[in-house]
Parts: sequence; structure tokens; C-alpha cells
Amino acid sequence: MGEVILAMPGQWAHDYREKADHYTSKIGGLPDWPDLDIPVSGKLLLCDFCGGKLCLVAQIYAPLSMAERSIDERVIYVLGCMKKDCGSNPQSWRVLRLQRCKQDIESKDEPLKAEQPEEESTSVAEDKPTSQSSSVKVCDDEDSDSDIDLDDLAQALEQAATLASNSKKQDGTKHTRKIVEGPVAKKLIDDLTTPVLPCFYIYSQRNSSEGRMDKANFVGGSSISLKEIEKSSGNESEGESWEGEAYEYDKALGADRTYLKFKKQLDAYPEQCFRYSYGGNALFPVANVPKLGACKICGSARRFELQLMPPLLYFLQEASDDSSNFSIDGWTWLTIIIFTCPKNCCSGTCDEKSSNSCRCIVEEEAIVIQDD
Amino acid sequence: MAERGGFGRGFGGRGDGEGGRGGRGRGGGRGDRRGGRRGNKSEEEKWVPVTKLGRLVKSGNITSLEQIYLHSLPVKEHQIVDALTKDLKDEVMKITPVQKQTRAGQRTRFKAFVVVGDGNGHVGLGVKCAKEVATAIRGAIILAKLSVIPVRRGYWGNKIGLPHTVPCKVTGKCGSVTVRMVPAPRGAGIVAARVPKKVLQFAGIEDVFTSSRGSTKTLGNFVKATFDCLMKTYGFLTPDFWMETRFSNSPYQQYTDLLSKQATKAILPPTEEIPPVEV
Repeated sequence: MGEVILAMPGQWAHDYREKADHYTSKIGGLPDWPDLDIPVSGKLLLCDFCGGKLCLVAQIYAPLSMAERSIDERVIYVLGCMKKDCGSNPQSWRVLRLQRCKQDIESKDEPLKAEQPEEESTSVAEDKPTSQSSSVKVCDDEDSDSDIDLDDLAQALEQAATLASNSKKQDGTKHTRKIVEGPVAKKLIDDLTTPVLPCFYIYSQRNSSEGRMDKANFVGGSSISLKEIEKSSGNESEGESWEGEAYEYDKALGADRTYLKFKKQLDAYPEQCFRYSYGGNALFPVANVPKLGACKICGSARRFELQLMPPLLYFLQEASDDSSNFSIDGWTWLTIIIFTCPKNCCSGTCDEKSSNSCRCIVEEEAIVIQDD
Repeated sequence: MAERGGFGRGFGGRGDGEGGRGGRGRGGGRGDRRGGRRGNKSEEEKWVPVTKLGRLVKSGNITSLEQIYLHSLPVKEHQIVDALTKDLKDEVMKITPVQKQTRAGQRTRFKAFVVVGDGNGHVGLGVKCAKEVATAIRGAIILAKLSVIPVRRGYWGNKIGLPHTVPCKVTGKCGSVTVRMVPAPRGAGIVAARVPKKVLQFAGIEDVFTSSRGSTKTLGNFVKATFDCLMKTYGFLTPDFWMETRFSNSPYQQYTDLLSKQATKAILPPTEEIPPVEV
């Protein structure tokens, strides 16, 4: 439960408006709503502050497995407003949690179109890790800086996908499989009014041990060696002695101890786009944190689920150099911390439907911490 | 542990081996699409800026540290200083063991004092405690870079040549130690104890008389007092600064306006006045 999963940037989408499925985790682009009985209401997609349309910042597929039930169809959408003044206003951010309440026994079995699987889809069945890793190893062996042969990659993913679908047909299901899906063609979502951020896909990586952080702290080109230290410590003949030193917390002119700890975690994995740790502890860059509200439906105190990190902004800004439809320079947040209801409650209406599972959308809370 | 967040599970838990592939694949995609440069993965280019100032520095909009000092913007990433200064040298002044008494004996950690500077008006001091010496040194270098300050130099008498000494008598204090720096004529050299002399050399001051008071045996405080004294050189109001300041836009505002105007590259007139900030 305390383990942190980092989201690293993957492939860019070929077109920012292209359609993925709601099992994909991605940054930017247009939101992929699963088939809903009632479409997402317009009010939820508008900014509270200026009334303009919100754009999708992150779509995260976050299934849960709890003791009583497991919710496999659970997606979190983070929406933000791109207008100039809304960037620093916490009211203009919205987090939606969309989940299917009752669990189907048979999961959806998407037919595989194996023609040109794009590398974007990142949900892979996990029951056959060895076979998958062997097929994907084609790419891992390359350690040169040359371009990856994308055909090889496509082929490898194709193999993994066919394996996944075959295994599903064979065994009984213990977990719900998430199957690699290759979209048939790059379908675009026909929504030209919503602002769209550059889109790239996400893959996950576990936060590994401390050794990584020490390596990351290495500053290249330092002119100090340990031998020099021993030499200089021998020069104490003049009667100087450094007395009375006590432990001191890290401090710099512009950065305090809390921020330096935040930065240290970032330096370990400089490209992390968000940190996911269901029920874990958030990484706060400042010491005082505004108070959290409680869940509107069940009243329980919200719990940390994930937080967006600044490299995300950097990647989006880099990509936005060509296109000029929007500006995210109004965004100066250091991190956006998202808290969700621990009981994963849903709005009352879904109890009425008995047999079918229904989907409900619940609004969750986000704390935006600014970079002064 | 009944509950388990499923974010990683949703992906099938790709492990570490995918890191490189994802990175390269992504670079490939972008390269194809935009014809941009492929990351050649040197240490330099791996810097992903975290703060707004870092993003501005990385994109090349800010070219010198002086622009940052002018608006008193806090520097929160040491890579900013690396990018904006050339030949910044660092030196370890001292590594002392610091001990804490625990029930199971004494726990020793190492405290490293590092001074960085380019010998031409920029100096920084970093202090870091860590369990290992190497970690302490690395951490102290980073903290020193985060604390780089500008040092004002002036003349003792005739204004011939470049400034060589402090502009006026300044004093700095840390703990019980006070250090006073007095302008000296050319050729006097740095008249100071060994420890602050190092800091003053890194700052680029050629001649100065110093006088210290207090328990200078606590060399940690001594070196911090010297550093504090150097910080004050630009805080001292001399008749040169009597002219009214013409305020300019802070880089944040300057570049926000520029970039939000959809590819027009005209220089916009200043939009608002900024209250005076102490440099």
C-alpha cells in the first residue's frame, strides 16, 4: 500500500485528438469516456472560475482490488483550464472518478485488430509475464542511441497481444484481463471546440531502491576527490579546530528543507509525470498544506491517490512550441495532489438498477500547490 | 494488506527494463514528427526542469544570473546555476564528523562545507550532513550552487581599472562571530584568516582588510558570517543607487505575455509596474 508507482512518459500520439480507450493512461488529448448510460454532463466539463471548457490534463486507468470487491473499470480524469487567470486558481481544476459499480464476471473481450498496433496502448495482460518479456526483449537489447526500429516494436507488441488473447481463451479467469488493443485506424474524436493539449501515453515503473537516488545526486565535473579531503584535513596544524558543530538541516537561499526533499525524489527519476500510491503518503513540496474536504457522498475523509509532477508541464510545453492554440504558461504549479474517497462510493442513483452494472462519475478533490 | 492500488496492475507492471525503451521510443516518435534533435543522453540534457524559472532557463529565455538577481527570484534547481555560469569551481573547506548519542552508542554523520565560485563576483556556500562523506560532499555542492549570490566590488581610491575591493565597510554576523570587511588599496591582498580567505578568493575580491570578533573557533559560524557579509555588499545603499529605478517586467511576466500571444514575436510594452525588490 505504501509503494509508489511512477508514471514515465511513453510514446507521443500521432494526432492529439486520436481516440484511445478508457483503459489507456495518457496525458493530454481528449478524454476517452467509456460507454455511459448518461453522457458526462456539461457542467462538469466547464471551469468553475471562468466558465470556459476544461481540457484533459491526465487520464489514468486505476483499477482497485479491495477485500470485498475489486473495481476494474475505474478511471480518473484530471481536467484543467487553460485561460490565463485560471491557471493559479484551484477552482479551475477538476478531478473526475468514473467507475463501474457492479463487477461483471465476464470482462469485455475486445477483438484484437492486429494490423498495425500502435504503441500507445499500455494495458497489458499480466498473467504471462515471461512470454511477454521475451517478445519485448527485442527492444531492450538495444542500448545504442540510434532510433528504435518501430516495426520491430510493433511486431513485438502484436505478439504480446496475441499471446494475451490466446491465454484468455484457455484458462479460467482469475484476474480480469486487460488486453492489448490495437485500434483499427486512428480514429479522431470529433470535438473541435474543446481545447486539446499535446497527447502522450504513459507507462508505469516502480519506484526502486535508494541506490538510484545516490546516483542521481552525482554532479558531473566536480573537482573534488576523497584524497584531497584527507589532505586538507591534515592541514590542521595552525591550531584551528572546527569545534562545536552540530547536525544541521539542509537549507539553501531559495529552498527549504521540505522542498529539497521533494526535489531529491524528483531527481531520482527526472522524467516522472505523476506518482501513484493508493492510500500512501503524498510528497509535499511545501510545509503548510491546505485542509482537505470530505467526500460529498459518504462523508469519509479523502485519501491520497496520486499527484501530478512538474516534468509533465515541461513535456507539454516542449510539445506546444509548434502549435499555438493554447498556452499553458499560466500553469505554474509545482504539484497537483489528488485525493479520492477511500470507500469508492458512487452517487445514489445506481442502486436502483439491479442487474446491469452502472457507471457513475464522482467529483474528487485536488490540491494545487503553486510554485512562487 | 487488503487494499491495493491498481494503477501499476492496470499496466501489467512493466518493470525497470522498459524504462529505456520508453524513453527511446518516445524520442523516436518526437524526432519523426518534428524533426527535432534526438536526445543524446548526456548528463546535461537529462535535466527536466521542475520550476517555472528552470523551464525559462532551459529554453534559453534567461541568459544570465543577473536577470534572476534583479528580480530576486528564488533559485530552486542547481542546474539553473550550472547552465548560466561558466567555470564555477568548487572546493571542500572541511568535513567534520558530527555525533549524536543514541542508546546503541554514538551515531556519526559527516558534515561537509563546500564553497563554489567563479572568481568573478559569484560565490555560494553549502553545508550538508550525511551518513557518508561522498553523499555529504555531493549534497553540499548542490546546496552551494543553490545559494550563489552576487558580490559587489568597488574601489578604495582612484577608479582606475576594474573594481578590486569591497565598495564600503560591511559587516556580517552568524552566531557569535561577526566579520567586518574594510576596503583596501590595490596590492594589499586579502588580509584575513585562512578560512574566510578561501571564500573571498572564490568571490573574486582581490584586496580587503578584515576584522573578526566572537568565537571564531567555531569555523562553521565564521565562514557563514563571511558569506553573510558578502551578501550585504549589494544591499548597501551608496550614492550610485540614488537615481530612481526604472522597473522592468520580471521574466515570468515577460515570457508569459510573449508566449500567449500566439506566435507574434513583437516585444510587448511593459504591462505593470513591479514594486521595488531588494537585490
